[in-house]
Amino acid sequence: MFSLWIGAYDQGLAYAGLALGTYLTLRVLNFPDLTVDGSFALGGGTAAVMISQGAPVPVALGLAILFGCLAGMVTGLIHTRLGVNDLFAGILTTTGLYSITLRLMGRSNIPLSETPAGILALPDLGLGLDGQWAVGLTLATVGMILLISFLMATDFGLSLRALGNNPTMARANGINQRRGLTVGIAAANGLVALAGALVAIYQGFADVTMGIGSLILGLGMVIIGEAVLRPRSLPWALLAVAVGAILFRTMIAIALQLGLEPVDLKLATALLLLIALAFGRLRIPGLSAGQGRQEQ
Amino acid sequence: MSSAPGFRVPGLSVEELSWGHPLPGSGWRQLFSGFSLSCPPGQFLVVIGSNGSGKSTLLNLVAGTLRHGAGRIHLGGRPLHRLRDHQRARWIGRVMQNPLEGTCPGLTVAENLRLAERRNRPVLINGGFLIGAFGGIHPNSGDRRRYRELLGELGLPLADRLDEPVGQLSGGQRQTLSLVMATLGSPDLLLLDEHTAALDPRAEATVMALTDRLVRQLGTTALMVTHSLEQALSHGDRLVMLHEGGLIGDWNAAEREHLDPAALRAMYGAAIVAPQSSSATDGSSAS
Repeated sequence: MFSLWIGAYDQGLAYAGLALGTYLTLRVLNFPDLTVDGSFALGGGTAAVMISQGAPVPVALGLAILFGCLAGMVTGLIHTRLGVNDLFAGILTTTGLYSITLRLMGRSNIPLSETPAGILALPDLGLGLDGQWAVGLTLATVGMILLISFLMATDFGLSLRALGNNPTMARANGINQRRGLTVGIAAANGLVALAGALVAIYQGFADVTMGIGSLILGLGMVIIGEAVLRPRSLPWALLAVAVGAILFRTMIAIALQLGLEPVDLKLATALLLLIALAFGRLRIPGLSAGQGRQEQ
Repeated sequence: MSSAPGFRVPGLSVEELSWGHPLPGSGWRQLFSGFSLSCPPGQFLVVIGSNGSGKSTLLNLVAGTLRHGAGRIHLGGRPLHRLRDHQRARWIGRVMQNPLEGTCPGLTVAENLRLAERRNRPVLINGGFLIGAFGGIHPNSGDRRRYRELLGELGLPLADRLDEPVGQLSGGQRQTLSLVMATLGSPDLLLLDEHTAALDPRAEATVMALTDRLVRQLGTTALMVTHSLEQALSHGDRLVMLHEGGLIGDWNAAEREHLDPAALRAMYGAAIVAPQSSSATDGSSAS
């Protein structure tokens, strides 16, 4: 039974980048970004290709982040330079990314048989490989939270938060909305692609369809984290989102234990979000009723 | 009346400006055609006019939130018409009509002040060490001390609420903060777009007194749009009236003293409701 919990903990942390990226776009930038469905798979595919060809894991992860950033940048540029609607810009990029990821992988599924040496070098806490993953992923998640917290506390982060909060006021205070949004969306998708890469390595394979429903997954994690910890500052919100990712995977593990069919998981997730939306517990820019965003 | 403007001066100069907009359904309304206006440095210019006369549009065109068709806008010799709105913001402080628009409600008072303070020093993302490249951690304790002193000097109770989200402030407090933000960094031009329209009389008096004080203290050029004849007759160095995108009145402070408020109101047209207070009628009120 304990292996169930530690497995859910590991999986939750592997998905933490997805939750953090979703939080950055939706809550900080006020931008409903559908690119995450594509960038998650792109990250997983990139890591799988690199590792299967003998590249070191850090290099594979770095390249996955880079490609994710590029994917986000494309969405940002489509939205800010061409004036395409935010949702549609993300859909366009994600649609294109499916072919790009498939081209990159060469086939729809790439198995990864070996656990990265870096993970095996970590203390196992008496739990074997799951414990080593737990240590590695905890360090990676804490690192991500600290880095984002730091960046968000700088003038640069303040500018991004202002853009999401009141773009008119942000522009009136000299902030370049085009550049800020593009950089922010790129960074968020870099985190999502990192999550895709970590999930692929953890589960031992990458699949071109692994990104489907990622935005909904990320949203679910953000909602749960915010509902449980009710954060009042940004660093706490980031921690809450990571905790939400763990709780979300734990709930899935429990549901599976209780007999829920794996094929029904996405339906259950969608219903959970629908209930939250219907009862007004969740505000999503561009998706919730009565929500809007001022554009130049 | 003052002589007709149209020549370039080191302050604000609007020359041969044209701007129009499509009408609902079909058609086109050309609001400004060859419009010119100049404002010497340090002048506090009050703009009045009926609804649709182009007052707020003029401010939006100067600020760059609206793009004009033809013409030139210079501020201190700088060609603003070649810059986007966020680039113009380096030299322009702006207070919006709606207190909700001029601040970030989700950020704290100190964070809003920091945003305004670095308006003329945009963040660079390239070069330098990580902290320097991203602008450093702000607002820090030094920033807070500076803001507390500034707000204290101005006699504003916001000095004790630096770490509260702006969304928790009243409309008057938000507009006061917005005004302080607009004047941070000593902008070359202050744009005030009916900035007291949404306030109760008490908050209006507070904000107008602060406006006068900050404009005089900074010596900045200011353009204030208002519907209030009371304000128009008691604030600023010069008063101009717009109608259908054209200048139909231009009075300096001395000339304004002799204005007949009733005649001024008549020039407005029926669209404007006269102020109810008796002070507006004799033109000797002070906010």
